[in-house]
Amino acid sequence: MISCENLSKRYPMGSGHKQVFKNLNLRINPGERIGLLGRNGAGKTTLIKLIGGVEMPTSGKVRREMSVSWPLGFGGGFQGSLTGYDNARFIARIYGMEYDEIRDFVEDFSQLGTQLKMPVKTYSSGMKARLAFALSLTIEFACYLIDEVIVVGDADFQRKCHFELFDKRGDRALVVASHSPDLIREFCDRAVIIHEGSGRMYSDVNEALEVYSTL
Amino acid sequence: MSKLAAGWRIQRRVISALMIRELVTRFGRENIGFLWMMAEPLLFAVLVGIMWRSLHGPEEHGVSVVAFIASGYIPLTLFRQSMIRATRVFSVNASLLYHRQIKILDFIFVRFLIEAIGAMMAFTFIAIVLMAMDEFPTPADIGSLLAGWFLYCLFTFSLCLVLAPLSEMSDVLEKLLPVTTYVMIPFSGTFTMLSWLAPQVQPFMLYSPFVSAMELIRQGIFGESVHAMWDITVPISASAILTVIGLTLCRRVRRELVVE
Repeated sequence: MISCENLSKRYPMGSGHKQVFKNLNLRINPGERIGLLGRNGAGKTTLIKLIGGVEMPTSGKVRREMSVSWPLGFGGGFQGSLTGYDNARFIARIYGMEYDEIRDFVEDFSQLGTQLKMPVKTYSSGMKARLAFALSLTIEFACYLIDEVIVVGDADFQRKCHFELFDKRGDRALVVASHSPDLIREFCDRAVIIHEGSGRMYSDVNEALEVYSTL
Repeated sequence: MSKLAAGWRIQRRVISALMIRELVTRFGRENIGFLWMMAEPLLFAVLVGIMWRSLHGPEEHGVSVVAFIASGYIPLTLFRQSMIRATRVFSVNASLLYHRQIKILDFIFVRFLIEAIGAMMAFTFIAIVLMAMDEFPTPADIGSLLAGWFLYCLFTFSLCLVLAPLSEMSDVLEKLLPVTTYVMIPFSGTFTMLSWLAPQVQPFMLYSPFVSAMELIRQGIFGESVHAMWDITVPISASAILTVIGLTLCRRVRRELVVE
């Protein structure tokens, strides 16, 4: 289980600050798939970063009682100056995994070929997403945090991601930030709308999507 | 207890992964690779040593000028490089914070460790070469030599702990740093023994934590040929105070750190 208790986050802005959200509460049970909805800048990415422990809340607490992936996005968690292979080595080292296994999976899943020998900063955002996805799937987490990333890439890559995440790891918890109503409707059990600094949980995904479309 | 052991394992994994990553990004895998980390202190020691020797002759106050300068300049480069490497270390490495097992203190520690290992390698290397040329005495007292190095490292690291978060809070610091590290050279014990100075300034110089560490290093190398004066309570208490301040500041900066 993951629980967010009275989370508030604000960023300094000029002489004042910007309140992203205030006293947000959220519970993610094992195996539960939660869609995050919100307009651009509403705080979806921020919430995912707080759940993942990348940034710290201004007040409140995130309790993690299951293993949580790092937020999967377009590039966070990479070393731009290092090659794809070096990044894989690094991940293998810090998570205590066998590099050979990780390398084989990454080569197979990402289909990046010789590009893996190039520094990550030369990758397009689609290629970064492929690498990020491949790396995070080599480590088994109980909960995956995904930020918009599923909708990038070509049809073949999307199909592979859906298979790995929703079929093969159907028993895992998931937090997905997305603007795609289809994706949320198809794969999520519940949805949270983040709007004007507060978050509201809907156990009926269709209802959430309806509210979201009127924002 | 098993939790502690697991934590220790993760910590060791993270430190070694970060070390390798830092060495590869900084020095690459070409030519001498990570051995570059001792190149800078070595070059400084050799060139400044030659300069002093040609200005001051082979021996002064009964000790070899080259050995004296080399043994002082390598710790000094350790201090200066550590300060430079500690500035903005959090924002430069922020993307690594995606992995929760990596903590911001690891960034500071790893960068300092690389500088320290490089400096000690350079120190050992130059000592052996100079000994072969009969320009460097066989260390008289390894214990004092190591104790001096330890205190020098301890104080430098505790300064890093304060400097790293401060450099994130204010841009001014980064701009004042080069001149500060330059101006403090007379208080670093690099170029003189305390006993060579006028008696009335000696007690004041002892307030500099570097001086006691440096005197111990010299005592370890030159033994009876020099008269070393030191007070280890100065570097130890200064380091303890800086560490407490540094850790508090790090905690504060981490809360507000924005990761892209």
